[in-house]
Amino acid sequence: MNAEIQTLGALIVVAVAATWLVLRALAKRKNPGCGGDCGCPTDELKAKLKR
Amino acid sequence: MALPTHISAPSANSTSRVPVYALVGNPNCGKSTLFNALTGLKQKVGNYPGVTVEKKVGTTYSQHGQPITVIDLPGAYSLAARSPDEAVTRDVLLGRRSDTAQPDRILCIVDATNLERNLYLVHQILDLGRPVILVLNMMDLAAQAGLRLRLNRLEHELGIPVIACEAANGKGIIELRLAMSRTDLPLSRHAWNVPAPIASAVTELQASLIAHDRKAPLIARAEALLLLTDQDSVRVAGSTPLDPRTAEILRGWEKRWEGEGTDWAGTLVNSRYEAIGRLAAEVVLPSATTGPTTSDRIDAVVTHPVWGWLVLGLVMLLLFLSIFTLAEYPMNWIDGRVAALANWVKAGMAPGDLRDLITDGAIAGVGGVLIFLPQILILFFFIGLLESTGYMARAAFIMDRLMSRVGLNGKSFIPLLSSYACAIPGIMATRTIEDPKDRLVTILVAPLMSCSARLPVYLLMIAALVPGDRVPLLTKVGIMLLMYALGTVGAFGFAWLFKRTLLKGAPPLMIMELPPYRLPLFRDVALHMVERAGLFLRRAGTVILGISIVLWFLAAYPKAPADATPTQQLAQSFAGRAGHLLEPVIRPLGFDWQIGIGLITSFAAREVFVSTMGVVFNAESSDNDTKPLRQAMLAARWPDGRMLFTPLTCITLMIFYVFAMQCMSTIAVVKRETNGWKWPVFQTVYMTGTAWVLSLIVYQAGRGLGF
Repeated sequence: MNAEIQTLGALIVVAVAATWLVLRALAKRKNPGCGGDCGCPTDELKAKLKR
Repeated sequence: MALPTHISAPSANSTSRVPVYALVGNPNCGKSTLFNALTGLKQKVGNYPGVTVEKKVGTTYSQHGQPITVIDLPGAYSLAARSPDEAVTRDVLLGRRSDTAQPDRILCIVDATNLERNLYLVHQILDLGRPVILVLNMMDLAAQAGLRLRLNRLEHELGIPVIACEAANGKGIIELRLAMSRTDLPLSRHAWNVPAPIASAVTELQASLIAHDRKAPLIARAEALLLLTDQDSVRVAGSTPLDPRTAEILRGWEKRWEGEGTDWAGTLVNSRYEAIGRLAAEVVLPSATTGPTTSDRIDAVVTHPVWGWLVLGLVMLLLFLSIFTLAEYPMNWIDGRVAALANWVKAGMAPGDLRDLITDGAIAGVGGVLIFLPQILILFFFIGLLESTGYMARAAFIMDRLMSRVGLNGKSFIPLLSSYACAIPGIMATRTIEDPKDRLVTILVAPLMSCSARLPVYLLMIAALVPGDRVPLLTKVGIMLLMYALGTVGAFGFAWLFKRTLLKGAPPLMIMELPPYRLPLFRDVALHMVERAGLFLRRAGTVILGISIVLWFLAAYPKAPADATPTQQLAQSFAGRAGHLLEPVIRPLGFDWQIGIGLITSFAAREVFVSTMGVVFNAESSDNDTKPLRQAMLAARWPDGRMLFTPLTCITLMIFYVFAMQCMSTIAVVKRETNGWKWPVFQTVYMTGTAWVLSLIVYQAGRGLGF
């Protein structure tokens, strides 16, 4: 793999990672931050509750 | 006006929908353990009150394989809620939550060793007019305590199924499932006679609640009784405001009773207790054994004003010794494998940006954090062990003496303790605190407790940067203990300050139940460890990986001229420029622009500092052999050739991390829990300001003393 292709590949990976981080930060979450560890209801759980 | 006091039990198969059971009981009676046993889920359990602060939902199956939904609710002593977590329980049971359907049936779990006290909540729940199954948990402990319970008599008196159970050992679960599978669960035939002077008011309020507030008859009766004992319970957030006509009736009765000198709330509560006392006398036979129990004998030592502190100190010492000694081998192994993987990629790929991204970005960043997994697992193993045995409640008890002196509520201990793992569950656990000011003070100081995300930073500074052969193990443990103690003292100090300035309030009173000691449930401890490991790995594989990749780009671009050294390249990169921008502020603390990059990125999460150092110092490395992070950092120099990471810098950096609010997730949760930006902004400013000032004092004083 030559240097130019590597640079292109690296920049694509960086762009994907940056986009994902930005979308993740902007996503509206009712219970942000805990990663599901603190016992707050998950989306799946809330869907179950809303019958 | 004649009003119904009974309705027919809703049949589980009368509709096609899945029956919903609410699991309720006093704090620490084993609700979450029973919930896990029924649903096969892995909710956190602990041998202390206040583990569950939100409702949790799972599915279990009837004997015929029909699904049954179970909602695990926070523990409550009464439906007259005194704290936000108890309000969750009350609101779900009364059908006030818009996000939760009112449960069809109720599983009421009680601690068999404390039956009479637990029956108060049972009594209130029976008023709701829903089918109830009573589960007597911890029957083994009741037997050990010499208690003899007449279950048949209890079943007869209440008219509902009563199941003996040992949720922790899985005993009684089959019988419980069979009872839950019944479509013909009876309603309680236990009639509680409301005292005559109050009965008319209850009837009138019930009628108004049915007519104007659209409540079902029995729920209306339960609400009327609650209105008379705790009016605030109906007016808290999440409730529909009371109809003015109902409120007018209530005010009329209150005025009348005040004129007559009638203590209506006291009369109602006493009447309930009298009924419970009579029932308990029928059901609980006097204990055959006398004298102190094993728990009492252990408590004489571990809650002693002097020995208690000694035991706590020894436990903490053992914990940190284990973190340093037991984790060393797996840590070195992971460190070696990470370096080997990077070297393998380097050997297999031609030089270029993609290769650098993989080795200096992804592998260095994620690997730098990953090596601390063993220490984190050991930390959670010990925390799980202490929770499971019941020692945590004792630690809370002895800490309460100290906490009450700084004006902290004794109930703050569990949130503060949880914050050693992560401030987020700690902040959520403040929902058990009744007083809003005490709750806010606890939220403000909870992130000062050293969370597990700080552990990689501390360990990197201590184990990696203070050369191991020159420093005895106990010194390393001592430094670590010092950091934890510093955070704790800081939390207490700021609590003291806030309680005397911003959030003045009466000295809090704590009533805490000490649960009996139990053998640790290794399965639960192991599950908790696995969960934490999964969470840590997920975080490493997602957010930290993403940040490491972006950081690599920021450290590698824009490209310097071909003849530039790696240090020159990093200095003129985006990350380097940001670090240089911050350097004037942090230089007095002994930090350069490279550390500045870490301080900026670790605002996302503290452990990102370690991965940032991995990316920054590997990006600077010119050779083809990836070094372990500690070696790369040891080689770092100031432009004048001085070592960058001296012992003084490491200590200063650790102190900075003890106090700085470097966690976006915590800020978000504080915003949610305090309903606004005012307090999270205040918290970030006071914590980071304190971190800067203390770091400055330590570094400059250290320099002055010749370090």
